[in-house]
Amino acid sequence: MSPRPRRRIRPSARGGFEVRLPPEERALLSHLPRQLDELLATATDPAASGAEDAAEVARPRDRTRAASADAGGPEVPGIQDPLRRLFPPAYLRDEAAEAAYVGLVRSELVTHHRESLALLLRTADATRLTSEELEAWLAALNDLRLVIGSSLGVTETMPDLDERDPRYAEWVCYSYLSYLENEVVDALAGVLPPAAPGADDEAPEDPWGEPPGGLRWDGTPLPGEP
Amino acid sequence: MRTTVSTSRTVGATGAGGAAPVEADPEIRDAPGTDDAMRPDRPWLVIVWNDPINLMSYVTYVFQKLFGYSREKATKLMLDVHHRGRAVVTSGPRERAELDVARLHRHGLWATMEQSG
Repeated sequence: MSPRPRRRIRPSARGGFEVRLPPEERALLSHLPRQLDELLATATDPAASGAEDAAEVARPRDRTRAASADAGGPEVPGIQDPLRRLFPPAYLRDEAAEAAYVGLVRSELVTHHRESLALLLRTADATRLTSEELEAWLAALNDLRLVIGSSLGVTETMPDLDERDPRYAEWVCYSYLSYLENEVVDALAGVLPPAAPGADDEAPEDPWGEPPGGLRWDGTPLPGEP
Repeated sequence: MRTTVSTSRTVGATGAGGAAPVEADPEIRDAPGTDDAMRPDRPWLVIVWNDPINLMSYVTYVFQKLFGYSREKATKLMLDVHHRGRAVVTSGPRERAELDVARLHRHGLWATMEQSG
């Protein structure tokens, strides 16, 4: 990659956005969404996965333990674990409220993820996109990064790429998706409407003040905590 | 290199949505007065938690787009999330908070909600 690569996505004078991607990148974008969509279809289909219901995808505990146990060993096709990153909980202290929330939003959320991926797949060769289409690209790219990044165990510090790493291809893929997503965000942020009047003033004050101690919702330490 | 990324943080990231927060924090579980029916007037807070995958530019963009914040306000909230681990991004009645959480989930952000006080 040259130090100053030409922008791949930029607003078009004719409206919408111009997309300039080399063929090998378009090939990747024609491939990855299909893979993730198949995983979503399987993981959210009770008949295919053997799950009791679609909410099984979000049931974290047992599979997380399995994933932790396997973290240092051979890779297992534990796709439910990275997929779960696409379905976070809303309520931490109220299981009944959480179950109701899942019942309310889960199938719509699955549909949203799958439609975004399908649109990226359909338009992977497009040279022009509408704002709505580019928004779907953004959603799909971010979903891909979330799933691949979770699977790779990405942390705040990006390791140097190493060709000897058995997962080198996945790391390259993740890095590329991050790069492209940044371009999409830049393009879309450039055409955001002005801030809503008074919106900043209505933003809540953080009632915690200083950072609280303890754990965050997924059980990992807050930054700066031992 | 695989070894360098296989830290405890790796497990946390892999298990995103995994560890049971209710069990992970007994202080929260045992907090008194969690029956929200008893205090319907207190606003609900929508909290976004830090995660190592979502891009800072993306998180800022989502705050601007969903809540109509200025770039400056959205950036400040994003930095709060990044440096402090979490930030309250909106608050209001339960129904609105739940809608905001769902919108944030559509965008892949780690958002939860809880009643203030």
